[in-house]
Amino acid sequence: MRFLHFTFLLHLKPISITRLSLAHQSQPAASFTFLLNLFVCFLLLRTSVPLTLTHFLCFGLRWSVAEALPLASFSFLSASSGSPFLFFAFKFSVQFSPVRYSTGMVGLSPGEKHFIQGGIAQDIRSDGRKRLTYRPINVETGVIPQANGSARIRMGATDVISTVKAELGKPISLQPDKGKVSIYVDCSPTAAPMFEGRGGEELSTELSVALQRSLLGGKSGAGAGIDLSSLVVVEGKICWDLYIDCLVVCSDGNLLDALGAAIKAALSNTGIPRVQVAAGASGDEQPEVDISDEEFLQFDTSDIPVIVTLTKVGRHYIVDATTEEESQMSSAISISVNRKGHICGLTKRGGAGLDPSIVLDMISVAKHVSEQLINKLDSEIAAAEAGEDES
Amino acid sequence: MAGQPGTTPTTYSPSPTTQKTRKPIFNKDDVDWVRPDGRGFHQCRPAFFRTGAVNAASGSAYAEFGNTKVIVSVFGPRESKKAMMYSDIGRLNCSVSYTTFATPVRGQGSEHKDFSSMLHKSLEGAIILETFPKTTVDVFALVLESGGSDLPVVISCASLALADAGILMHDLVASVSLSCLGKNLVIDPILEEESYQDGGLLITCMPSRYEVTQLTVTGEWSTPKINEGMQLCLDACSKLAKIMRSCLKEATSTSQE
Repeated sequence: MRFLHFTFLLHLKPISITRLSLAHQSQPAASFTFLLNLFVCFLLLRTSVPLTLTHFLCFGLRWSVAEALPLASFSFLSASSGSPFLFFAFKFSVQFSPVRYSTGMVGLSPGEKHFIQGGIAQDIRSDGRKRLTYRPINVETGVIPQANGSARIRMGATDVISTVKAELGKPISLQPDKGKVSIYVDCSPTAAPMFEGRGGEELSTELSVALQRSLLGGKSGAGAGIDLSSLVVVEGKICWDLYIDCLVVCSDGNLLDALGAAIKAALSNTGIPRVQVAAGASGDEQPEVDISDEEFLQFDTSDIPVIVTLTKVGRHYIVDATTEEESQMSSAISISVNRKGHICGLTKRGGAGLDPSIVLDMISVAKHVSEQLINKLDSEIAAAEAGEDES
Repeated sequence: MAGQPGTTPTTYSPSPTTQKTRKPIFNKDDVDWVRPDGRGFHQCRPAFFRTGAVNAASGSAYAEFGNTKVIVSVFGPRESKKAMMYSDIGRLNCSVSYTTFATPVRGQGSEHKDFSSMLHKSLEGAIILETFPKTTVDVFALVLESGGSDLPVVISCASLALADAGILMHDLVASVSLSCLGKNLVIDPILEEESYQDGGLLITCMPSRYEVTQLTVTGEWSTPKINEGMQLCLDACSKLAKIMRSCLKEATSTSQE
């Protein structure tokens, strides 16, 4: 979380100063630190170093009392001697403050928790976003040449890769006129140490199931983003099996939305070879096929829904939560919405119960957000595709 | 993929025969469609609950909804595994498995990971985990016979088993699912209806607190339809919870006698 220090140093605006102090006043646990800060600020004011006031209010937030005490005494000494090196001393101590944050394990101090919650309540989050603003989305397509289609999506520090491989297979007897699609997510230990061994399995299954629920529609295939009947080569005999494999390269929250977007981008990048079926085969025989390596069929990805995850922190919902914000959530709802504004899937996370009316409100908010997201994503994908064609 | 030359090609007609066997239960154009078991669209199967099905467990329950038969036992609170990290609050461990003979096609009988995590997510909000710190409560569910709406039955039955084990909860958790077939919303679907559904909705809720602990939706839904579906399910959940409550009362009154 060290980067946050610097963000504060650089981007602190007057409004957030008042917000910081407000956030503090409402929390009794941190009030001691706050008073300490006020005291030190008072000393600082006497030495007429106005800049450090802002700094102090911020630093105090992430420092425990134990850390703040020696500093306070130091500043007292400096203040009484009227030392001009005060400012330097603070900067020094901040830059060498221990890094408490490592990916995966979120250990937040009460002050930090309060800062995140207070920010969300006042519609300005720790990275300056509003509640319903996404981080910039970066789309790259065709990153894995071995696959039929692939894409990499980056949203802040969240980084995922999705690939599509197509293989010829046999349709299941119950649905002879449909191809098969399967989605798997792999949480690699390169993303976080806790994914090692079987640690990532639980998250992988949860994400895979949520993606299948959101993108593949009902059992009869209604509402599916991918038209399964377009995958059939010979009814009842040959169809394409699409294997969509996703990899979490780096996780900084909002994995499901990123994975959904990556799958959408990968599918629009996918080319499926045209298949020539040899005539003459009949009965139970498997017809002979000839797979073209020149002609490819493109997918129509306009119907593929986007996934919007609304994370509920306190009384408010936010989109595109970071890991720290996710650690403060009471519950989250992932809603996949297609271009028509229909809901194509819904998954709830987090144990806390929700009032049904809140669920319905979240659905309507998600529908509203999805309109912008679909347009943004489509233009990003189109730009990425165009860029790939040129190179 | 060459065809075997020796076999004489029997007449192959791609769609007509398969189509006939494929769509027996539901036809979109059929206005007077009735459900295979003769229920109304908004009518649930009769529910049967019994607690104390397994003597060795701290609490257990058996549930039967039509052909769906489920048994759930609860063990604990007991010591967490050594490898587990220290935790101020209790842990909940859920596992849902199918018997090999539960499904029409003989299955593997292995743990159903997807259902296990769903069961965990729907129960954890209702259990007061603070009451058993450092320990674990195990919930093992076994689907004896799968007859549709398996997961909702497992969830309702598990909450009953937890209550039977004396684990403190905010409220009983009742769960109901619903299938969307064409324009109709069909509550508490059976296996056949589930396999032809255009969309599905599952709600688990705490009826007395009127809180949804878990909600999943598949397929394409418009907002009014989701509204309607949720209302139907919530209504059914509160009725189901009444049945569950009366089952618990019955069990305590018979044990006192």
